[in-house]
Order: sequence, then structure tokens, then C-alpha cells
Amino acid sequence: MNHAAFLLPAWLFVIGLYGIITSRHFVHLIGCLTVVQSSTYVLLLSVGYRTGAGAPIFADHPVGSPAVDPVVQALVLTDIVVGATVTALLLALALQVHKRKGTLDPQRLRPLRP
Amino acid sequence: MDFLAPLTVALPLVVAAILIGGAHLWPSQWPDAVAALTAATVAIMAVFLAGAAAKAGPLVYWFGGWTPRHGIAIGIAFVVDPAGAGCAAFVAVIFCASFVFSWGYFDQVHARYHALMLIFLAAMAGFALTGDLFNFFVFFELMSTVAFALTGYRLEASALEGALNFTVTNAIGSFLMLAGIGLLYGRTGALNFAQLSRALSGHSADGLVILAFALLIGALFIKGAIVPFHFWIADAHSVAPSPVCVIFSGIIVPIAIFGAARLYWSVFAGSGIAQAQLRPLLVWLGTATAVTGGLVALMQRDVKRLLAFSTVSHMGVLLVGVGLLSAGGLAGGMLYLLGHGLVKGALFMVGGILLASCAGIDEIELRGAGKAFPLTGIAYALGGLLLAGLPVGLEHQGRELIDAAAEAHGYAFLAPILSATGGLTGAGILRGAGRIFLALGPEPGEEQQSPSEEEREQQDRPVWLMLLPIGAMLACELMLQAFPTEAAVRVAAASFTATGSVVATVLDGATWSPPPAPPGVTETQMMGPIIGLSVALGIAALELGRHHFPRNLVRVADLALGWLFSALDRLHNGIVGDYVAWLMLGLLVIGGVLAIG
Repeated sequence: MNHAAFLLPAWLFVIGLYGIITSRHFVHLIGCLTVVQSSTYVLLLSVGYRTGAGAPIFADHPVGSPAVDPVVQALVLTDIVVGATVTALLLALALQVHKRKGTLDPQRLRPLRP
Repeated sequence: MDFLAPLTVALPLVVAAILIGGAHLWPSQWPDAVAALTAATVAIMAVFLAGAAAKAGPLVYWFGGWTPRHGIAIGIAFVVDPAGAGCAAFVAVIFCASFVFSWGYFDQVHARYHALMLIFLAAMAGFALTGDLFNFFVFFELMSTVAFALTGYRLEASALEGALNFTVTNAIGSFLMLAGIGLLYGRTGALNFAQLSRALSGHSADGLVILAFALLIGALFIKGAIVPFHFWIADAHSVAPSPVCVIFSGIIVPIAIFGAARLYWSVFAGSGIAQAQLRPLLVWLGTATAVTGGLVALMQRDVKRLLAFSTVSHMGVLLVGVGLLSAGGLAGGMLYLLGHGLVKGALFMVGGILLASCAGIDEIELRGAGKAFPLTGIAYALGGLLLAGLPVGLEHQGRELIDAAAEAHGYAFLAPILSATGGLTGAGILRGAGRIFLALGPEPGEEQQSPSEEEREQQDRPVWLMLLPIGAMLACELMLQAFPTEAAVRVAAASFTATGSVVATVLDGATWSPPPAPPGVTETQMMGPIIGLSVALGIAALELGRHHFPRNLVRVADLALGWLFSALDRLHNGIVGDYVAWLMLGLLVIGGVLAIG
């Protein structure tokens, strides 16, 4: 496989983490989290990619013709569902925190600290 | 018999769906009873499975009948070995105790709490039984997602902030794991543990395999609260409702270390990842975790936060047991997991009684408040002594096995260190017991107000009903020693680590020949308990009697040790970005050490 296919997920991973580490707003932080998440999706899809192969659906082309790996796509699909749940939960938590504290800056929200 | 394997997961899921479907129809105590009964049923099924697997070898259940063709796994399998089934049974027992403890606690939310908890139980049972890497990941994710929701349940500021930190760090853990799975799949084209193991064995581990291993193990260490991945734990455990904390500290954290052991032996044992690098790495990470957790626990005045950090410390000991990479060490780790879960669960329940009856969880504000609850106080002190190293019970047996395995691998010097860390956590608990239940220690002054907000858990629940599971769990910890638990766990550890035989059973349907169990400990070493107990009692007495010592002496001691504690305190600063930075550093260390070797 082409090495560039590994560089893109690595870049997405690192830039997303940089965003999380330096974030001053939880909604921004949650956005960065989804960037990290997409890095894993890009990685998985490029693992299953085959040059010149079609989608793994054999309705319109003959069985046995080259297709990309459907297993990784199933993995990605499963994780997208979980990822959407977690993002929704995080945003709901952030909303509730904002109602109570009036801020979403991680540096000022410190659990159990005066 | 093997039809029971999927039922242990399916039953709680179905009951959860029924409970949530009719949430407003059930009379108020019903969900409590149904949930406790379901957990008990799961426990019984898992015990049967464990018994059958101990007799006949791992039971393999292929979903939908998709059995392997020509030694290649196509479908998804549950591989039920005695250790996995035993773990599932233990999980269900703790859930049952937690449901009894929370009787009447969650009346206002109807059955929603019970449904979430049952999904939680299903996820953990599946995590312990599965033989497929992606399935493993899905159950891991399910476990995390339910835990996030249960943490923020109270919708108060501290609970929400704790839940945010918990969710962000653990979500990153899930991504790491998925990336690791993707890399492994790209290399081998397999997701079944046995298939992966066969594909990886015989080759030397290259960068890709090492990276995948580091990502997977790092993800499990985040959940397993290993230093420096542990920062989220106190923020989450100190704010979640006490019955949930029982599950969090008692099993969800240890089960992640169990998962790491599962991954190592089921997939990577033959992959050429050098034991010469991996063993010291895991053992030293474990030791660092045990020491850090013990020291930080000692600094806490919030009882639940203290217990959370003591869990960190004990996870270090557990990791040492697993990280010795021998059947004996693993058997010690498993016994330790059982003992720790029972004791820590009981201690968190005591925290729950304090929150319900005394409307507080801060040790200094509660000084003397527990005088009306002598039995609770005795249970708390007994838990502290057991964690400190009282030479009875499962936890002690586990520690002995770990010490013996450490000695066999040239780490004999670790035994006293690990005993002392047990003493540190015990000291914190005994200090709390003395202050809350006996009103020892100095009078709190004005400046001693607790930094945390007011909190109180559902009152007017009978104290005896809350004491019942505490007593039962502590009794289990002490009484199971009389049964051949230790021998059974050693047999389970032997078949857990027999990678080659398991692979042949799963893929080729080969008949199982039981591997020899690692030897038990014949001679009781009294050194460990003496060190642990003297550290615990000594520090607790020093802290409670602080005001009787000359002022200058106290000041000198503060100067000598203050820098260490204030540095540790500054590290646990509650900022999620810093936690993530630490996490990446830990990942780099793991990957780096393995890559250099």
C-alpha cells in the first residue's frame, strides 16, 4: 500500500489531539475529538482499499470481480453509530454544564476544585 | 451447554429492553427486584459455563453456525474459558450486590437506571467471553458509553464536569483501539483471536505489529487507570452515584486489565513481541501506578476520591501480576481481581451509606458523624485492613502468588514495595474510619470547609438493607478462601495462557488436553502483611494524632514531604487537555520501549 495512505490518518490524529490539548472551549474540543475519530476511519478505509476495485455490491457486476474489503467498511459503520452517540452525549453534557457554570472553558471547569 | 454463552449477554439486554419499554407501568420496587434477579441468573449461568469449560476445555460458540472452513474463521465466536466465564460470573455477582444496595435509590427515574445497568452487565459479560477482536471492541465501547451516561446522571455541575473528562479521555481510548484493530486487520486479514494468533506467530514483530499492540494496550490502560493514563478516574468515580461506583472501581477498571491479559495471550503471545522488553515495561508501569496511586490516595479528604485513587494503586499491583507474563503471576492477578472487587465494592457502599445518612462524603466535615453507625464503621475499617494486607482472604492469596511469580522472574525486591503501597491505601481508609466513626483527630477549623459542593444521595432507605450486600461481599472475600478457589483460579490461568491449545480448539476443533496448573504457594510469607499493616496503622495514627506532636516536628515533616504531595496535587488538575497530553506521553513510552527492543 502507498505510504501516503498512512500519513493522512496520522496527520488527522495529531492535529485533532493538538486541538484537544490546547482547547479553550468544550464545543471546539468535541469537534477536535471527531477529527481524531475520523483519522481512524480514514485508516480503516485505506486498509481495505484496492486500486481499481468497485464497491462490494454484486448486484450490477459479476460475482468474483474485484471489490474493496467490506469488513472494514462494516467496522467503520459500526463505529460511526457509537461515535454519533458519544458526540451527542458530550454535547448534551456540555450544554448542561454551560447552564450551571456559564462557561465552557476546560481551564475554568475543574471538577471538585474551588 | 454452550447455548448458555450468548444467553449471558442476551438475557440482560432483553430484560433491559422490557424494563425501559414499560418504564412507567412497573410498581416502584419492581425494577429493583427484576434487575437483581437477572444479575443473579446471569451469575448462575456463567458459573455453569465456567464449570463446563474447566472440565472439557474452552467451549466455542459460533454465532449463526458460521463455523471455520479449512481452519479459517468466517463467523464471530464466543470462546468460553474458565477464566472468562468466571470473570463474567464475578461481574454478575457484583451487579447483583449493587442492585440490592441501590434498592429504592432510583425510584424517581423509574426503570431507566436499571436498564442502563443491565446493558452495562451485558457488555461486560460479552467482553469477558468473546473470542473476536471487533466484538471485543464493540463490547468495550458499549461498556464505556453506558458508563458515561451513568456518571453524569445527577446533572449537577461536578458530576457533569467529571463525566466530560471521563468521556473525552475514554473516547480517545476507543479510537486508539479501533486504529490498532485496523492495523492488525490490514496485516492479517483476520479478526478472530485464534486466527490472528496463528497469522502473527512465527514472524518477528515489525513496526506495524508493535504499533498495533501499543495502541490496543494503551486503550485498555486508559480504562484500566494505569499511570499516566489514570487521570480521569477520580473525576469520574467521585461524582458518580455510589452504586455505580461499586461497579466502576470494583470491576470495570480491573476488567480492562483482564482484557489486556486476554489480548496478550490470545493474540500476541507468539507474535515475536519480545518478553524481555514487555515484562519489565509492564512490571515497572505497574509499580509506578501502585506507588503513585497510594501516595495520591493518602492526600484525599473526599472518601470516594480516596477510594478511586486506591483503585489506581491496586490496579498497579494487578498489572504487575499480569505483566510478569507467567501463568502463576496471572493466577495471582485474577485472585487479586476477585478480592479487590469485593473489598472495594463494599467500601464504596460504605461511602454510599455516608452520603445517604450523613449527607456528606468529606472526611473532615464528617468527623464523628458516623458514631451512630458502628457496623458500617467496622466494615469500613475491615476493608481498610484487608487492602493494607491483612493475611486472610482472596486478595492476600493473590498477592502471595504475585510475589512468588515476581521472585521467580528476578523481581523479588518488588514484594515489599507492593506491600507498602497496599499499606498507603489502607492508611487513608483507616484514617477516615478513625475520624468519621470514632471522632479521632483534631477539631476541624473554619478553613477546613470542604471544597466540593453539597451532595446527598436518596435518603430514607433502610441502613440494614445497605449493610446486607456489604456484609455479604466482605464475607465472600474471607470465606471463599476455605473453598478451593485458589486452586480453581490456577487451573483457569493455565488454560488462559495455553495459547496454542486454545487456537487449535477454536479453529481445528482439536480435543483439549488440560495444561498443567502453575504451582501454588506453600509457605506463608509474613513479611508482606507486616510491612503493609505497619505502614497503614503507622501513617493513620500519625495523621490522626498530628495535633499531639510538637508543632516544630510537624512543620519539619511538612517541609520534607510537602513538595512531593503538592507536585502530585498539581498534576491532577482536572484539565482534560493535560490528561490527554499525559495519555499520549504514556503511549509514546510504551511504543518506544517495545520498538527499541
